[in-house]
Amino acid sequence: MPSSVSAIHTRRGLDLGMHTAHNANLDATPLVLLVDDSKFVHRLLVTRLRSESITLHSEYDGKAGLEFAIANSPALIMLDLDMPIMDGFETLRNLKDNPITKDIPVIVLSGNSATQDKVTAFDLGAVDFICKPFELTELRARLRVSLQLHSVMQMLAQKAMIDGLTGLYNRAMFDQRWQEEYERCVRHGHPMSLVMIDIDNFKSINDGYGHPAGDAVISGLARMMITEVRKSDVACRYGGEEFSIILPETSPEDALAICERIRIQCEKTVWPNHPGRTVTISIGIAGTSVEATLDRDQWLGQADKNLYAAKNAGRNQTRVTDFATDSQGLSRAG
Amino acid sequence: MHAQDPAPFSLDPNNPEDAELIGFFVDELPARVDTLRTAAENEDLDSIKRLAHQLKGAAPSYGFPTIGQAAAQLEDCLKDTGINSLVQIKAELDALIGLCDSYAKGS
Repeated sequence: MPSSVSAIHTRRGLDLGMHTAHNANLDATPLVLLVDDSKFVHRLLVTRLRSESITLHSEYDGKAGLEFAIANSPALIMLDLDMPIMDGFETLRNLKDNPITKDIPVIVLSGNSATQDKVTAFDLGAVDFICKPFELTELRARLRVSLQLHSVMQMLAQKAMIDGLTGLYNRAMFDQRWQEEYERCVRHGHPMSLVMIDIDNFKSINDGYGHPAGDAVISGLARMMITEVRKSDVACRYGGEEFSIILPETSPEDALAICERIRIQCEKTVWPNHPGRTVTISIGIAGTSVEATLDRDQWLGQADKNLYAAKNAGRNQTRVTDFATDSQGLSRAG
Repeated sequence: MHAQDPAPFSLDPNNPEDAELIGFFVDELPARVDTLRTAAENEDLDSIKRLAHQLKGAAPSYGFPTIGQAAAQLEDCLKDTGINSLVQIKAELDALIGLCDSYAKGS
C-alpha cells in the first residue's frame, strides 16, 4: 500500500469548525481524497499526480471515505462508483446530506460510461465525471478546474461573512450565528452570554486624528478581542464602532471576567497615531448561568440596554445581567 | 494455456515513472491471477466480475491494453446471464488468465 503519500493535513471546515473568522486558512496545497476499492487506481493516481501541488489521501471504500471527509474537510473528493460496502452513489448521497461535507466538490470516477450513470452522478451533486481508463492529461486538467472553482467559492463564502477591516465575522454572520447559538442554548439548557461593546467617543478620534487612526483603533480592539475569546466564541463587528461576542457555555460572571480583560487592555493601550489620547470602551452583557428564559430579541435588547446604561453611567465600564438570578452587577474601571 | 504474444507497452519502460507503474502492475499480477483462479473454482462470479472490472479500468493506464480488453470482454460476458454463456465465460476467463500469466512470467 502506498502509505508514503498519505500525509494528512487536518483542517477546519468553513461553516462548522471555524468559529472566529481570523482562523480561516486557504491552504496552498489542497487536500484531495481519493475513494476507490482498487489498489491499481490509487497507485496510478499517486504516481501520475505527483507533480500536482496537492496532498492526496487514499481510502478504499465509501464508508471510510465518508468518515475521512467529515473529519478532514478535503478540498476535493475523487469518488469511484463501483465499490463494496457503500457504493459511489450512496457515498455521494451521504456526502451531500451532511452539512460538513455538502460543499466539497466531488469528481465521480467510473469504469462505466453509461449516460444514465453520468446523469445520476450530476443529479446527486457531482461536479464532474471521469471515465476509466483515464486520459491522464485530461484528468489533471479537470482536477485543476475543480480545485480552482472550490478555492474561489471558499473565498467568496468567506468574504460574504467576514468584515474586511477587522477579520471578525460581519453583521450578517452575527445574525445567523446568534440564531443558531440561541437555539442550541435553549435546546440544551446550557449557560450562554451575549456581549455588546462600543468604543467611547469614537467620533472624536476620527475627527481629531483622521479616519486611518479610527480604523487603527477598530482593528486594534478587534485584535484584543481575538486574543481573549476561545475558538467556540463568535466575535463580530456589529457595525461602525460596535462589536458583539457570543459566548456559548459561558455564564455572565465568566463573560464579565473576559470583558474586563478586554476593557482594561484597551484602556492601557498607547496608540501610535495619538499616544496622548487613550481609548476606552463600554460593555453590556446579558446572559444566563442556567438556561434561557427569554426570547432572542429580548436577550439582545437587554445586552444593548446594559451597554447604554454603562454609557450613561460615565463610560469605560461593564454592565451585566444574569437572567437566571435576575441580578444586575456593575464593574467600574479600576 | 494459449500463450499469446504480449502486446507492446503503451508506456515507455525507459521513462522512470512509466517503469515504476509497469513494475507495480507486473508484481501485482500473480496475486490477481490466483484470485481469479480461486474464484473460478468456487464459481464466485461476483469476485470475478469485480476483478475483471478493476483490470478493465486499470490495465490500459499501466501499459497493458490487451489485458484491459480481455477483462472487458470477460465483464461483458458476465453481464449476460444466459446459461449458454457459461462456456464463453470460461473461455474469456482462461484468455485473461493466460494473458496475465504471460506478462507475469515474461518480466
